[in-house]
Amino acid sequence: MKALDIAFKDLLRAFKTPFVLIMMFGAPLLITGLLYLAFGSLAGGGDLDLQTVRVQVANLDRPGAQSGGFAAGEMLVEFLQSEDLGDMLEVTLADGEGAARKAVEEQQADVAVIIPHDFTAAALASGREATVVQYEDPTLTIGPGIVEDLVSQFIDGFAGAKIAAGVVTQQLAADETVAQEAALAYAAWLESSGHGHGDETTPSVDSRPPAGVGESASEGTGTIGAIMIAMTIFFAFFMGANSAESIIREDEEGTLERLFTTPTSQAIILGGKFLTVVLTLIVQVVVLLLASGLIFGIKWGQPLTVFLVTLGLIVVAAGFGVLLMSFVKNTRQTGPVMGGVLTLTGMLGGLFTSGVPNIPEAFDTVRLVMPQGWAMYGWELALQGSGVGGVLLPVGVMLGLGALLFAVGVILFRKRFA
Amino acid sequence: MKSKAIEIQDLHKDFGDIHAVQGASLDVQAGEIFSLLGPNGAGKSTTISMLACLLEPTSGDAKVMGHSIGHEPMAVKRVIGVVPQEIALYGDLSARENLNFWAKMYGLRGAELARRVDEVLDVIGLVDRQKGRADTYSGGMKRRLNIGIALLHRPQVLILDEPTVGIDPQSRRNILDTVKEFSRQGMTVLYTTHYMEEAQELSDRIAIMDRGRIIASGSHDELVKIVGELDRVELTLNAPAERVTTAWRAIKGVRRITTNNGTLALLADDSNLVLPRLFESANQNDVRITSVDIQEPNLEAVFLHLTGRVLRD
Repeated sequence: MKALDIAFKDLLRAFKTPFVLIMMFGAPLLITGLLYLAFGSLAGGGDLDLQTVRVQVANLDRPGAQSGGFAAGEMLVEFLQSEDLGDMLEVTLADGEGAARKAVEEQQADVAVIIPHDFTAAALASGREATVVQYEDPTLTIGPGIVEDLVSQFIDGFAGAKIAAGVVTQQLAADETVAQEAALAYAAWLESSGHGHGDETTPSVDSRPPAGVGESASEGTGTIGAIMIAMTIFFAFFMGANSAESIIREDEEGTLERLFTTPTSQAIILGGKFLTVVLTLIVQVVVLLLASGLIFGIKWGQPLTVFLVTLGLIVVAAGFGVLLMSFVKNTRQTGPVMGGVLTLTGMLGGLFTSGVPNIPEAFDTVRLVMPQGWAMYGWELALQGSGVGGVLLPVGVMLGLGALLFAVGVILFRKRFA
Repeated sequence: MKSKAIEIQDLHKDFGDIHAVQGASLDVQAGEIFSLLGPNGAGKSTTISMLACLLEPTSGDAKVMGHSIGHEPMAVKRVIGVVPQEIALYGDLSARENLNFWAKMYGLRGAELARRVDEVLDVIGLVDRQKGRADTYSGGMKRRLNIGIALLHRPQVLILDEPTVGIDPQSRRNILDTVKEFSRQGMTVLYTTHYMEEAQELSDRIAIMDRGRIIASGSHDELVKIVGELDRVELTLNAPAERVTTAWRAIKGVRRITTNNGTLALLADDSNLVLPRLFESANQNDVRITSVDIQEPNLEAVFLHLTGRVLRD
């Protein structure tokens, strides 16, 4: 009970100190927001929730007998309806051009794509042209632009085949079968590549995070999540050390010695101080996760997984802070020690390179030398939607390492006040 | 016959080669105000730290209300209230928040805690400022709060370690009056100071400490009798004291001479007989006596008599 009283007193003091509040909550949220604005959104990153584009497709393509069963119009429809584009496009087949246009005019659809009747023929024959017509709601910009890009890329594939065929044709004296074989080969490749796994067909709609989010960040994580968790880890380690510093501060203020004159054992007094570190981190991390979820819309992952990595982070940050402060003799030393050690270990732990592209893969291993690296690794897995099984290793390491660091720190502190 | 609240028996404390307390022994009767008087570094605070179970004695033992500091430290801590020399409270908390917290550390809870906090706020005169941050208080208010914390659990023995250092005369007066009031209520008070006047005014009995040893103890009158009828004469000169000390030591009736910060103090059998000879000797050495203060026998004279040094070094 007295240990809790000591911890609550320390929390009360902490919450009355503007500096502590800034370092606990303000700085991580502010830095994340600024970094996101500076790099994340400008790089096109983030987790933008685009509205699904409603597309009406009128496939008027009539492949002739000479196409050998190849139907370019049908392939375009399948491409637009592919699973890869399912999150972006809602494709409906229209009965004809008029129906497709009408759907756009009545705002039942955002875009109408009219595939001409000679689309396959144009794809197979050199020198022929066919135009895919796109009607769009003039009030919209992004959705129609995406559809136009996708259709253009699809058509460019055939155009590339025709150019290639055209070169061959010139060399082989205008043999049209070569052009046809080239177009068919491209179509076969398109089929085998699955309409979207090839880089050329879906580069701009790939939902992988763009520059600004590292390789380690998962699909769907986004820039903001990676930056936020790096800041949360850094400032959690800072607050772990800062809370543990209160033991040294109280020693200098004389209140620790005064506590020892009360009928309270040394174990309870130091236990209360260590409980302060844990409670401070619980409050900090939980508030940061909730606040960043609300402010930035970050989805942290599965609840149980998030609970485990949160627990791991709190334990390892508390252990690190207690151990670090057990080496410090007075509060004049704490500033440089905390600043230097936490910045260095944070850097090596990958907290400041989270989201930076082109970091060598070997760094993913190197960072695990630091407890911050394990925390980052665990949280990345959680952000990728990993289940409990996926985070057991980093959580286990964090709990074990945290307990070890904590135990050594406690022994050193007890020796100091024995 | 009063019972013994504190019994100190041959207490020693060494810090490496430094012998901070060397065989201190004394008894403090229940309900009395007992002062430990001595200059800085005499060993007063070390003795108090051992009584408060903050330091373990190198050898010897002490009992507080019958509990050994070596074997029953928790029992000792329950019956004592310690007011440290330096103000030890949480400046970012209010007086009430400070008292609430410290009351819990003394095991108080619920209604009893609230009642005691109210009572102590009243005793230390901080009812009106109870919600203000302690670091916004004046020095005197902080001192009062510092004392109030030690009163929360109604200690049987109150230990005050130089509680008036560095405060204004009005706050000092207030603290001395408060201590007397505690004594009237039956509390045993162990008070350390290097101010002779405080020990003289407050104490039922006094122990004089120097260099880790208790060199004399007893009531004020008993201690003064040590110097008998000697007068203490304090003089200031317009020249270095060394120019006259050798000559003055040879004057009949001069017992001890010591210098401190340009002031010369001596013990004399009869100041009326000695003073003309001092003036004559000063003239012969081209030294002018610029002020003379003749004091009745007091604790300062006792300390000078016993150690050859002045109390305020």
